[in-house]
Amino acid sequence: MIRKRLRLAVLELIAILCALVIVIPFFMILVNSFKGIREAAQFGLSLPKEWVFDNYVQVFKTGNILRGFKNSLLISGLTVFSVNLLASMAAFVIQRRDSKFVRAVFYLFVVGLIVPVSIVPTIKLMGDLAIKGSYFSLIMYYTAVLLPFSVFLLVGFMKSIPRELDEAALIEGCGFLRLYFQIILPLLITVLVTVTIVVVVSVWNDFFGPFYLMTDSTKWTIVLQIFNFVTMYSTNWGIVFAFMVMVVSPVLIIYFLLQRYIIDGLTAGSVKG
Amino acid sequence: MGKLKYPLYFLYPALAVFLLFFITPTVIGFYYSFTDWNINAKEIKFIGLANYEALFQEPRLKTALKNTLIFSASVTLLQNLFGLALALVMNEALKTRNLLRTIFFMPYVIAPLIIGYIFRAIYHPDRGILNVFLREIGLGGMARDWLNDPNIALYSIIMTDIWKVAGFSMVIYLAGLQFIPKDLTECASIDGANYWSRFRHIVFPLLAPAFTVNVLLSMISSMKVFEMVWALTEGGPGYTTEVFYTYIRAMFSSGEFGYATAVNLVLFVMVTAIGVPVLLALKKREVEM
Repeated sequence: MIRKRLRLAVLELIAILCALVIVIPFFMILVNSFKGIREAAQFGLSLPKEWVFDNYVQVFKTGNILRGFKNSLLISGLTVFSVNLLASMAAFVIQRRDSKFVRAVFYLFVVGLIVPVSIVPTIKLMGDLAIKGSYFSLIMYYTAVLLPFSVFLLVGFMKSIPRELDEAALIEGCGFLRLYFQIILPLLITVLVTVTIVVVVSVWNDFFGPFYLMTDSTKWTIVLQIFNFVTMYSTNWGIVFAFMVMVVSPVLIIYFLLQRYIIDGLTAGSVKG
Repeated sequence: MGKLKYPLYFLYPALAVFLLFFITPTVIGFYYSFTDWNINAKEIKFIGLANYEALFQEPRLKTALKNTLIFSASVTLLQNLFGLALALVMNEALKTRNLLRTIFFMPYVIAPLIIGYIFRAIYHPDRGILNVFLREIGLGGMARDWLNDPNIALYSIIMTDIWKVAGFSMVIYLAGLQFIPKDLTECASIDGANYWSRFRHIVFPLLAPAFTVNVLLSMISSMKVFEMVWALTEGGPGYTTEVFYTYIRAMFSSGEFGYATAVNLVLFVMVTAIGVPVLLALKKREVEM
């Protein structure tokens, strides 16, 4: 018994030390964001000798932080909507209808899980369609990139919704559209939550997409805003750290409030066996 | 029944967006990689294999190829090793288990670019907390210029990536561990099996689905790495940490669009050649189970 307890205590100690490795970098940006230019450049872990709040004022004045948040929110929100709608509609037919064409489409999506984005031709395509640099182009890019995973997940889940349900509804005279919106969609809610979390985490944090596709600075997302800010202010780390804290903290607050759902959501469907 | 004709119009919107914005660029990319398309060209001319001939002479491609493979192999291996170890520890009855699980997963929800910037400060040769810590515990000899030493810069990026993604693998393994019946390991324990043999003969085989998902996900995403490298070294010093997407970025910036597309196509071939067989193996095993 004592040996067992000792073993647990040792394991707990090791785990806590590992957790410190994760927490300390976050602590470092937090304390340094309250330091003046000289002290912040020391990258130390000590509390500020003198608490400087001016860094945050500077970020607000020069960082266009609200605009960045607004753009990220808009782009993530609309991508969530389009991916959920398009993927669930597609999964509904892919799982229910068995034909060569439908199977071919499904395999095309599966291939999309692996294939890397061809970024330069994508830019060219956006130009040819005369939508280059618009919110719409970025939302379509994200939708296309995130569809394969979402379709894959939703098709897997559709299997658990009995066909008899469709048949009963259709016999009662319900059309396919009503069947989908009023019966199927509500039953898919748990997976749609998963899709939403995956989409938000990937779109909100993405740098690659807007870096290539958003040329107009008024449409930059918050991550692109921070990239630009670091290039301009890399001599004053206090301000850069303040910017990071402001970008990271809302994400972490949401994460801590919803962590159970986020972790379960992100891993749902991964190990059904 | 079974003859219900589910209308295909449900499928068309998703298919249209996917074909237009994903498949089309991939396919026209094939064509552009055989052209001299660049920023100054008035018209785009077909030049056959010229881009590829130049590309395969280029040491920079070999570097990008080598680094991408090292990066991907190391991340896949270490992410799974750390993720599995953490999951096994977190599966024990620790008091702080829930808090620790939340902390380990935390970096996964932060933008890779920001994590890269944070580690640029941590890896600073004089003042970064890593070297300061090493000197403090008397291992000053191990202190390095983590991001500017060509011999270790790539490995510093790899470790940063592991820091970010190990928690994700942990969570997938934890989900897999929940499916293993407790009495199975307890029985083995009573029969005298020690921890290692219980792990090897019972736990690990039953973790197979989680293992496959983890390996597949980390392999495919690590071959497409860009942001972490860009934030930490931009492919430098020199080209020593160049990966495919930083190379493509450099060619794009210098206006060599056709050439950049050819590099992208080499990446496509590599990811497909490695990813598709693994995916098929996964599918096949799913059928058997």
